[in-house]
Amino acid sequence: MRSIGRREASVLAAIAALALVLAAAAPGFFARDNLGDLFLANVPVLIAALGMTLVILTGHIDISVGSVFAICAVASGLLAKAGVPMPLVALGACAIGGLLGALNGAFVAYLRIPSIVVTLATMVALRDALRWTTGGAWVQELPAGFQWLGTTQSVYPVLVAGLVIILQVAVSWGLRNLAAGRAVYATGSSVDAARLAGVRTSLVTFSVFVAAGAFTGLAAVVNSVRFSQIPSNTGIGLELNVIAAVVVGGTLITGGRGTPAGTLLGVVLLGMIGPALTFMGVSPYWERAIQGGIILTAVAVDAVRPHVMRVRSYA
Amino acid sequence: MPDEGRRSRLSRVSVPLSRNEGILLIALVAQIALFSLIAKNFATVGSFFEISRLSVELGLLAVALTPIIITGGIDLSVGAMMGLSAVLFGLAWRDWGLPIPAAAMVSLLAGGIGGGLNAVLVARLGIPPLIVTLGTLSLFRGIAEGITHGATNYTGFPPAFLQLGQGYLWGVIPAQLPVFAVVFAAYAVLLHRSVIGRALYAIGFGAAGARFAGIPVVRRLGLVYLLSGLVSSLAGIIYVAHLGQARSDAGGGYELDAITAVVLGGTSVFGGRGTLGGTLLGLFALAVLRNGLRLAALPSELAGVLTGALLLATIAMDRWRGAGRPLARVHVDEESDVKNSQVAVLCAAVIAGSLIVASTNVWLVRSILPAIPSADGQAAGRVPAGGGRPVIAMMPKAKGDPYFVSCRVGAEEAAKELGAELIWDGPTGLDAARQNEVIENWITRQVDVIAVAVENRAGISTVLRKARERGIKVLTWDADAEPDARDFFVNQATSEGIANTLTDEASRLLGGTGEFAIITGALSAANQNEWIAFIKKRVAEAHPGLTLATIRPSDDDRDRAFSETQTILRVNPGVRLVMAISAPAVPGAAEAVRQAGRKDVHVIGLSLPNINKPYVHAGWVQTVVLWNTGDLGYLTVHAGVQLLRGSLSPGDDEIEAGRLGRLQIRENQIILGPPLKFTTANIDQFDF
Repeated sequence: MRSIGRREASVLAAIAALALVLAAAAPGFFARDNLGDLFLANVPVLIAALGMTLVILTGHIDISVGSVFAICAVASGLLAKAGVPMPLVALGACAIGGLLGALNGAFVAYLRIPSIVVTLATMVALRDALRWTTGGAWVQELPAGFQWLGTTQSVYPVLVAGLVIILQVAVSWGLRNLAAGRAVYATGSSVDAARLAGVRTSLVTFSVFVAAGAFTGLAAVVNSVRFSQIPSNTGIGLELNVIAAVVVGGTLITGGRGTPAGTLLGVVLLGMIGPALTFMGVSPYWERAIQGGIILTAVAVDAVRPHVMRVRSYA
Repeated sequence: MPDEGRRSRLSRVSVPLSRNEGILLIALVAQIALFSLIAKNFATVGSFFEISRLSVELGLLAVALTPIIITGGIDLSVGAMMGLSAVLFGLAWRDWGLPIPAAAMVSLLAGGIGGGLNAVLVARLGIPPLIVTLGTLSLFRGIAEGITHGATNYTGFPPAFLQLGQGYLWGVIPAQLPVFAVVFAAYAVLLHRSVIGRALYAIGFGAAGARFAGIPVVRRLGLVYLLSGLVSSLAGIIYVAHLGQARSDAGGGYELDAITAVVLGGTSVFGGRGTLGGTLLGLFALAVLRNGLRLAALPSELAGVLTGALLLATIAMDRWRGAGRPLARVHVDEESDVKNSQVAVLCAAVIAGSLIVASTNVWLVRSILPAIPSADGQAAGRVPAGGGRPVIAMMPKAKGDPYFVSCRVGAEEAAKELGAELIWDGPTGLDAARQNEVIENWITRQVDVIAVAVENRAGISTVLRKARERGIKVLTWDADAEPDARDFFVNQATSEGIANTLTDEASRLLGGTGEFAIITGALSAANQNEWIAFIKKRVAEAHPGLTLATIRPSDDDRDRAFSETQTILRVNPGVRLVMAISAPAVPGAAEAVRQAGRKDVHVIGLSLPNINKPYVHAGWVQTVVLWNTGDLGYLTVHAGVQLLRGSLSPGDDEIEAGRLGRLQIRENQIILGPPLKFTTANIDQFDF
């Protein structure tokens, strides 16, 4: 594997620059409570982004994550209300996410329909189906053991930190050292070459979509248990956040290159910008423009370098 | 399709003719046939032109996207560019005092610059277009929000300009249709009749190969992104003319609809394949589906589900039929030899797909059949005069919003009580353009009463006047249109009344002095911005001890409101009260205060009782202000039916509204009564 990539380095530099400005302008940003809150708010994005990294590494994309996220969140609430114990609720949400991912994966891997088309279709269809069935109603009166997964507000972050470390390490290690992980890179680099080398590319593609769905389901549970009720219109626009984090983190949109560590950096950068601007007293009306500017700069810096000579590929 | 026949000759040479178009054409004909059977007034010339008027902005974006997708790229920033150029157009015209043509030039110039930025980043620097345009999407939309501060709406454009979006040529053809035709023809020539077009297909097949063949890849690619910026900004100007209003959220979400239309029309997202004729078919299929469902009074959520199914089915069938034949090119993503098992999977999918389509059709027909006999039965038994049940079409601002869901309950109750048929439909999110679209459909469908919760005052009034001309009774509720565009406005409470109640409550809780923060919905939400203005006014006039520390957006998202409140509590430690003026924001803010353990911070706001009950009882939310939403829906339907039966007519000063008793009418505004304040004492008496 490569050492740290160029993009990862430029994202790291952007984070460091932002942190320096913050340290000078608004040191309150680094208060323990604030960092803790930011961590909890961005963990769901990170978990979904890890799944998305796998999908993008194979050269595909999944824009249905927001809709899958909403369905899994509502499903986890309904399961908990039906008296299912919390660990099984989490598993159930992952299973539902995985199932929806399998639907995407089957269309992409076995029917060979472009992933952006498939997931565009499922994004719209799943969101409207959820709207139709819930009629916009929230899931309320959740059992007492739902919030904080039955633990307390102070224990839960530790639990989540453990979970995230395990996931991050497992995905990184698996991609680097397992045959299945290498197959993901191989498929993304060149489907034909990978197939000729004996990789079952369709199975790989199918599996990454299932994994992405299951990760999204987990993200939905991790997010939902921070609250005591579940809105049914949650996760709108999540796909853009997640994809932005992955590609800003250096994963090549055409597949074959990228690391979970880069994705982590992407989530950190994007998760920092919004609150950082608030802390620095920037008018909320200009926030979105500045966010867009920072993302563009981060990717453009990586692209502007002397003697560019590469065969361009278009997503 | 102007040059269908001639184009296919060219296509034979350069690209394998898209089989999608054939399949889609069949699907389209089937759709039209079905809707002609089940929907009212679907297959009429008027309906056709109305549908086309509503699709022009989307159509322009789809046309601009077609060559981009043919090169294997994508442009997600088109909708945001529409919003930016709409706002710049308004800014140039009103604030800089430029004449309309000059303002249009400013707007187009911005489109060119924006498109140029995409072009440089994609073509020159070789950054993947998905990332670039994702970034410029935020950038353009953000600049539009920054310019308007979310709040400014540019309105009052001269009528001659509005003709472009609302008028007719020769009495039938929508005025913007020729603009679309010109752009479409220009793109058709560029893509299918020129060397440049040929080059775009070549780039789509393989950029490296194209370069070695002597094609200036960078310039050709740059051109399509530049043009896309220009066309998007043209769409923005037409949007302003159509709705009479320039606002920063114009065109939100249009990019996905446009991409859907292009892909549905057979353009391959891998590049190298696709035609403008196909895109036109795709647009029609989407528009017909959406409008047909509405004319048949079926839930609009079905549109999303069916669009998804249509998209997958069309492309799956294309793949299936194409599998046997060798393609004209080798593509890494396509198997050259297809195994039997794959054919089996494909067949199964196609069968499953057609089963889904068939069963939804059966469902469609079924859902209408029982309605007919029951309508007759009701008509004979309950409705005294006028023949048939009155049809009341009622539109919320957004269908999924819990606030409007709770209004619907009362509306259903009144409809049942009065023997009326209630159609409840509207946009799924705040979307002024789609509100107009729904009303156009209702006019075509010839409902008896239209009642609208208006999202965009200036934009909707024209179409409401048109409805009145056709003899339809028009009511507004929740938010008003212009007074001459409706018979009555069912007014739940004035903006000033709400703002004053909230501000007085804040002052009471804070003991007259202290800092407070506001969490609003979207920064561009008109209602909330009006409330904020009155809150500021009330603070200045009656409560000089209060200081408004900050205003933060929540985008009507509970989780976002939660995070924003956490940040506010840190950045503004002096804040002692959070005032949330969007329904999901109140529980979000309350949860943040609770988790921070800040017993000293009060939360009040405008929200629904049910989602706040736990927080009110636990003492984290002190007061929720709202009117009785069920009663609002109930009163609206009552007023509609009475208007139709003649027991209520303009100029009356009282209405007898069923269980609500006698209510006052002032200047054709039916007043529901003062807002309710929900506290621990009374919140359990309400269930919505």
